[in-house]
Amino acid sequence: MTSRRKPWQTALLYAFVVVLCVVILYPYFVMFITALKDKKEMYAIDHILPEVWRWSNFAEIWSAAPVFKYLINSLTVAGGATLLAIICGIPAAYALARMRFKGKGIFMGAVIMSQMFSPVVLLVGIYRMMVNIHLNNTILGLILLNAAFNQAFAIWLLRGTFVGISPEMEQAAKIDGCGTVKALVKVLLPMAAPGIITTLIFVFINAWNEYTIALTLISTDILKPMTVGINVFYGFNFIQWQYLFATSLFATLPVVALFLMIEKHLVAGLTSGGVKG
Amino acid sequence: MKKKTLTVVQPYVWLLPSVVLMVGMILIPIISVFKISFSEVGRSGLVRGLNGVQNYLDIFDEPVFWHTLQNTVVWTVVVVGVSTVFGFILAMVLNQDFRGRKFVRAVVIFPWATALVIQSVIWKYIINADYGSLNILLKKIGLIKGFVNWTETANSMFGWECWVGIFVTFPFVTFCVLSGLQSIDTSLYESAAVDGASFWQKHFKITLPLVAPSLTVSTVLNIIYVFNSFPIVWTISKGAPADQTHTLVTYLYQLSFTDGKGGHAAAVSVIGFVVLAVCASIYMILSLRGEEES
Repeated sequence: MTSRRKPWQTALLYAFVVVLCVVILYPYFVMFITALKDKKEMYAIDHILPEVWRWSNFAEIWSAAPVFKYLINSLTVAGGATLLAIICGIPAAYALARMRFKGKGIFMGAVIMSQMFSPVVLLVGIYRMMVNIHLNNTILGLILLNAAFNQAFAIWLLRGTFVGISPEMEQAAKIDGCGTVKALVKVLLPMAAPGIITTLIFVFINAWNEYTIALTLISTDILKPMTVGINVFYGFNFIQWQYLFATSLFATLPVVALFLMIEKHLVAGLTSGGVKG
Repeated sequence: MKKKTLTVVQPYVWLLPSVVLMVGMILIPIISVFKISFSEVGRSGLVRGLNGVQNYLDIFDEPVFWHTLQNTVVWTVVVVGVSTVFGFILAMVLNQDFRGRKFVRAVVIFPWATALVIQSVIWKYIINADYGSLNILLKKIGLIKGFVNWTETANSMFGWECWVGIFVTFPFVTFCVLSGLQSIDTSLYESAAVDGASFWQKHFKITLPLVAPSLTVSTVLNIIYVFNSFPIVWTISKGAPADQTHTLVTYLYQLSFTDGKGGHAAAVSVIGFVVLAVCASIYMILSLRGEEES
């Protein structure tokens, strides 16, 4: 349709996308320049850019607060939740994609329903349960909850991937004497790799960005993930914006990069993964 | 015989890890929330036994609850509505061929991939009345003379929260619609052009029906996400001033974890839960119907 665009339409289109990009990137620009300001400049109200570019802020955050701990905690929670979600999700998705059994429809319905319930609405119950089983204020508790609340998406994406792959190869492998498990591991999983990686990254990002459960369950500072940990720079009357934003950059850029990698697969998977069946 | 039972049981064994995880971490809290909502809970969190619908009656007596409910409806409708319309328009734009399209697509990913709490903190800083960068920027370009207090009233505070909500919600719509648009056969447009269809006719008669399924998925999922969205309101206002800017989830969080009213919080949870269940059922019917059609 390019050829039929009139010059004023092209101009309008560029005006639109330029304004859009400026507005979207504005908060990231603010985060970046504020992270580089000296604390004396923080409340100076006459310039936009820092007078002195304090690159050392990025080095100082690690000693100003246990930011390294937060980072490790975020990695552990997101990594652990991703592994658990995928280990539980693959067999379930496989059964849903390849087997016929009673109650399949009910299970699929339950999976879809479960993704509707955010942890926030259940927080009162989650907190009580975690206290009862002594998993409040633990990393393990966060891993279990994040894995569970991402289970629906994991199953959905994986099932969509499996359904899109013809079962013939696995059947051939079975004729050659492979068991179901071996056929799954040796034949199907390698072919499903792109879908599995998409699922891995998506669950990882969700768990990495999770805030509410961690805010509620974790009270010990050194057990906090990044999203909750950045609050240390946010005191009641004293906010260290430069450190807050420097830390936030470390929490943001890696996941944006990961997201850019999977965006194409992810959207196709979310909107049509189920429908392909 | 043994082998036969094995094949019957096998699928359930494959489902087992997933079922255990979801029952343990989702179903049990659901049951627990329902039970607490009908119980008397002390300030320390101790459950003292059932007290019927007393928690619900107490909540219904609170003007803040009704105001919060109203806020939640406004929040969900405004954020999802504006995001859907804008996200849709943006998808149409990004479906055009132009230089720099890849760059714009990448930029649109940013708000979607960023943790909500971080996005909210940045905006809180931007709109700060005393040293926020929006005031500085607008003053530099001469649009304002003195600094503006952007969040003077509860309504303006809530308006900014809706803005941040829209900011993080529209990219999902855009990418859902884009994936739908890319599956449309361009020859449809060509034959429509041959038949003399106008620009608007082409979009309403061809594009809209074909992206409708993607739009349905994104709208329903967004209703649920936005309804449940906690970090934006909690970070920016915590319901202030005077509990005027709460949504259901921040209100129940405050009841439970600040005010020590676990029973009331559970009742609010159940009410939110029922609203979501209705949305979830609609979504389930729609997606299972899609399943049968193909």
